[in-house]
Amino acid sequence: MSRLLITIAGHEFEVELIASPDSDGFIGVRVNGELLRIALPLERTLDTIEWAIVESHPYVLRIDHDLRWIESAYGRHRLQIRDLDVAVVRPASGDGRVKAPIPGLIARVLVEVGQRVAAGQPILILEAMKMQNELVAPRDGQVTTVNIRPGQSVLLNELLVEIG
Amino acid sequence: MFKKLLIANRGEIAVRIARTCRDLGISTVAVYEVGDMGALHVRLADEAFMLTSAQGYRDPRELLAVAQRSGADVIHPGYGLVSEDVGFEQACEAAGITPIGPGSGPLAQVRDRVEAITRVGAAGLPTTQPSSRSFAPEDGAALLAEADQLGYPLVVKSCAGGRGRGTAIARTADDLLAVVRRSSAQAQAAYRDGQIYLEAAILPSRYIEVPILGDVFGNVIHMGDRDGSIQRNTRKVVTEAPAPGLSSSDREAIWQSALTIARLFALRGACTIEFVVDSTGRHFFTEVKPRIQVEHLVTEMISRIDVVREQIRIAAGLPLERSQDQVYLEGHAIFCRVNAEDPWHGYLPSPGRIGSFQLPGGPNVRVDTYAYAGAEVPVRYDSLLAKLVVWGATREETIQRTQRALQEIRIGGIQTNLSLIRLIIAHAEFVSGSYTTEFSRVRLLDALPLPPAERLRDLAAIAALAFLQHTQTVHPAIPQAYTSGWHRESRRLPD
Repeated sequence: MSRLLITIAGHEFEVELIASPDSDGFIGVRVNGELLRIALPLERTLDTIEWAIVESHPYVLRIDHDLRWIESAYGRHRLQIRDLDVAVVRPASGDGRVKAPIPGLIARVLVEVGQRVAAGQPILILEAMKMQNELVAPRDGQVTTVNIRPGQSVLLNELLVEIG
Repeated sequence: MFKKLLIANRGEIAVRIARTCRDLGISTVAVYEVGDMGALHVRLADEAFMLTSAQGYRDPRELLAVAQRSGADVIHPGYGLVSEDVGFEQACEAAGITPIGPGSGPLAQVRDRVEAITRVGAAGLPTTQPSSRSFAPEDGAALLAEADQLGYPLVVKSCAGGRGRGTAIARTADDLLAVVRRSSAQAQAAYRDGQIYLEAAILPSRYIEVPILGDVFGNVIHMGDRDGSIQRNTRKVVTEAPAPGLSSSDREAIWQSALTIARLFALRGACTIEFVVDSTGRHFFTEVKPRIQVEHLVTEMISRIDVVREQIRIAAGLPLERSQDQVYLEGHAIFCRVNAEDPWHGYLPSPGRIGSFQLPGGPNVRVDTYAYAGAEVPVRYDSLLAKLVVWGATREETIQRTQRALQEIRIGGIQTNLSLIRLIIAHAEFVSGSYTTEFSRVRLLDALPLPPAERLRDLAAIAALAFLQHTQTVHPAIPQAYTSGWHRESRRLPD
């Protein structure tokens, strides 16, 4: 069955799924060699996994839809998941495309094509929910395309600027 | 008393106003922009009219026209939007419709914040030190000269609207112009007015507010005080009442100053007199909020006064129901501002459809919100999603109950600042009550406390299962047949 390496808040756990759910709906899992019984709602979308029971401990949860963090009454913890049965590790996404993180209005464009930018440098200001949000360059490089003008409305995930 | 009230606002405060009107038997008229058609405040009103002009909720002329068309005899502007629009208040008065507010005369006086400070100072009360005038962001040289006179650090404040937007600290001359530019742009976006002014900052300090009620006969009472020092991303997120750590003589002094200032401007209705208190307990007047505030909820909890009801009664020309001796302040209350935003990504607003929505219950817990499961958080408006307030007999009890309530709230589908609020309420400086406005510099998100090792292990196991369920959609890790107690075919419990 599947073996995963979970890094949560900097601590590593090897998790192995060892059994299908029993008649009570609990799934058997081995964590660092220790057997645990877990129940959770069976949802394909992570947004809707709202609770879990591990042995006798109930949890109220929020799980990021990209599995970058998990939140419970104990706070929010950073997650990293590696499938030990798959040798390839997914590279951290780090391309130079800057997309709209929320729908909104372009208030200002601070760079032009050809300009060199440093990672973290503000490149444009997106206005949404009465707030001006600074979007910054994801990495060092040269601006290759600027797809937007000030005053323009943009949709979620619309490609705004590319850094080559 | 009034027959019909027009609610010139949206969201949480519009819902809040509609509730009190129902309690008083006053019928309500809601207005809505097209995107708010199905909003809760519309459903709770007796009549509803769509606003068609481009300015929508900010269009004084259309709001007044709807009031006249619907036969409303009073308008409640809530906070933000047209609530501090002197022209709107005057137009209402001229049209014979009562605007709920401090009166257009006092409103104009306190809206000019630099002038208001000067006037309070002239009356012999301690004030903060403002710049001699307001500035546009382009007045670079004049700003720098003025700043040198006042001395750093400085608070840059927007002339319009509330303090949530466009307030920032400039610690040196190097960052002044950048801070001014940012503040002004924020104020421009929020209030369509980019003018700013400077104020000599008192650091560390506490931000203490004294909510007052005044009637047309000149009676003024205060409703205690509250502490709004805890801010994140330049906005108040946690407010408590009474303010912790004020000696009884300092508290009494601040109340008396607030009452004097309220009389000085002949304020009517519900207003808040705001002060900065330094580390020795001395207070300095900084501004008047001439309207109901987001944080008034915390005052309602310790005073049991329905502030919206009092606003309506005062506007109807009735005298205050209670004298100062009859304002009974009891226990402690903590208020949390739940925003649709992501503190982990630069407080990026998070509009979208709310998935699950579970509110806390139990004794002494109240939530005011326009939201519900399935509601849309619109992109056009402020990110305020819900207001949580918790009451307890003592501060300790209230902190514990607030933590409990925060664990119960679950809002899915969008990002919220709930986990940030949990960190604030659990922070040693908050628990001890020793915090100041410098708390905004405490890096909460970097130093997350770790749960016990066994809980971390459990969460790792949960994450693993969630991952498998999420990724193995073609060959589910957990066969469907096992997911319920029933076998799909045989329809009976498995052995």
